[in-house]
Amino acid sequence: MVLEATMICVDNSEWMRNGDYSPSRFQAQSDAVSLICGAKTQSNPENTVGVLTMAAKGVRVLATPTSDLGKILACMHGLEIGGQMNLAAGIQVAQLALKHRQNKKQQQRIIVFAGSPVKHEKKMLELIGRKLKKNSVALDIVNFGEEDEGKTEKLEALLAAVNNNDSSHMVHVPPGPNALSDVLISTPIFTGDGEGGSGFAAAAAAASAGGVSGYDFGVDPNLDPELALALRVSMEEERARQEAAAKKAAEDASKQEKGGGQHAISQDATMTENKTNDLDDESALLQQALAMSMDDPEVSHDVRDTDMSEAATDDPELALALQMSVADSAKDSASQTDVSKLLADQSFVSSVLASLPGVDPNDSSVKDLLASMQSQSDKNEEERPNEEEEK
Amino acid sequence: MSAESASAVHKGQVDLLDFIDWSSVECLNQSTTHSLPNAIKQGYREDDGLHLESDADEQLLLYIPFTQVIKLYSIAVKGPEDEGPKTVKLWSNKEHMGFSNVNDFPPNDVAVLSPENLKGKPVLLKYVKFQNVRSLTIFIEDNQTESEITKVQKIQLYGSTVETTDMKGLKKIEDH
Repeated sequence: MVLEATMICVDNSEWMRNGDYSPSRFQAQSDAVSLICGAKTQSNPENTVGVLTMAAKGVRVLATPTSDLGKILACMHGLEIGGQMNLAAGIQVAQLALKHRQNKKQQQRIIVFAGSPVKHEKKMLELIGRKLKKNSVALDIVNFGEEDEGKTEKLEALLAAVNNNDSSHMVHVPPGPNALSDVLISTPIFTGDGEGGSGFAAAAAAASAGGVSGYDFGVDPNLDPELALALRVSMEEERARQEAAAKKAAEDASKQEKGGGQHAISQDATMTENKTNDLDDESALLQQALAMSMDDPEVSHDVRDTDMSEAATDDPELALALQMSVADSAKDSASQTDVSKLLADQSFVSSVLASLPGVDPNDSSVKDLLASMQSQSDKNEEERPNEEEEK
Repeated sequence: MSAESASAVHKGQVDLLDFIDWSSVECLNQSTTHSLPNAIKQGYREDDGLHLESDADEQLLLYIPFTQVIKLYSIAVKGPEDEGPKTVKLWSNKEHMGFSNVNDFPPNDVAVLSPENLKGKPVLLKYVKFQNVRSLTIFIEDNQTESEITKVQKIQLYGSTVETTDMKGLKKIEDH
């Protein structure tokens, strides 16, 4: 929210015709300029921005520092490309334009887009830098385009001469798939000396990258409050539904012979669906891990998911055995108690078994199994009091 | 430049520290660690360890506005013998000067500081030129030894305030 007057020095030399930044270097620069103007004006309504060109027919001020965004965007249209960039003259004219700003309380800043080779001597640039520092003008340099030998060195010398307390920055943007504006959004040039990013910058980032932003759903509540609210409400509802489902699953643990595998799958599917809403893969994995540690029995069922579903279709007895072994190994003593109690309930189990296809409760093997189950649950109950005593 | 006077503080002249408008005080080319408050703020300026230092080169440009109109009588500048200021130019009521236009306007007064002055002896100014001062611009052009950095330990301004109009007296006249 610093009150600032900014002059942007645009490079419109012949080197800007190159297409290594899509669609062309000059177009990428124009987009970056309009984004910067927007960010500056939004961070503080009293901020002013001006534009000048450094090449073509010579250094020309297109717009003196103004808060009218439309004027600046208009003057970026129809700019001709040609000639060579005159960095020194450009910076000096920018300094002069800032000196005559209307609101003297504004801090002075110059943003230079250096896309073509720098023909000035390092000494001269250092002198200019010192003069800027003396008049408390901050300088941001965007180094892109031509990778001339010595260019980076000269620009770094200039930055060192100007830099007063880290108020000046240099950003190096190599050619690549990312647009120039996207790369700039995350730099201090946009975020204004680490103020935490203006709302505009964050929204622009969300809009363009669709990725990392400060907002939960990739939608800025400032831009679209209804959409953000709707997304939040649906997320809450989904979470509530999930929790209810999880509770239900915990209670009906024994019913999962038939549908437990599927249920766990579906539960996980919904959970993963919601997680794809999360913007960061890492946080998604973390949440899954947390969920797993919380819903241990369910997930441990999930682990043996494939086994269980196969077993459920092929061999219900095997499924039951697996079910029991899983129930035993479950760490959560509460659910274990539930499971064991349910299993111990003979009538309940037999009724469930009866409803299973291909299982004849009168079958001897099933009866044996039931008997062993009974003893098993007794043993568990015996073990648990021991554990609790030990505790 | 007037002749030396016996006592620095003439009767009736006060330290103008209380009338400085701190919110608008500016200093160009000061170093971030050694800034203007070190030289003029109460307490800081008495501490000789804290001083105002120049940054990129040896010049300093100070802008000191006042909360009311004052008359400036004398100025005392204290600094180290070698890096203390030498030529000091003063302008009254000139806002937002920069290093580029210091030569555009003739200063209201120029003070060349001797080592004696640097120990704290005030320099008397052309009082008639500073009768109606709302803001003071101090330009330190160079220092005693032509070194890269100028250091100032204390700046003290002496003067008096301009009498304000008595509103009651004004009303009475209108009644006639």
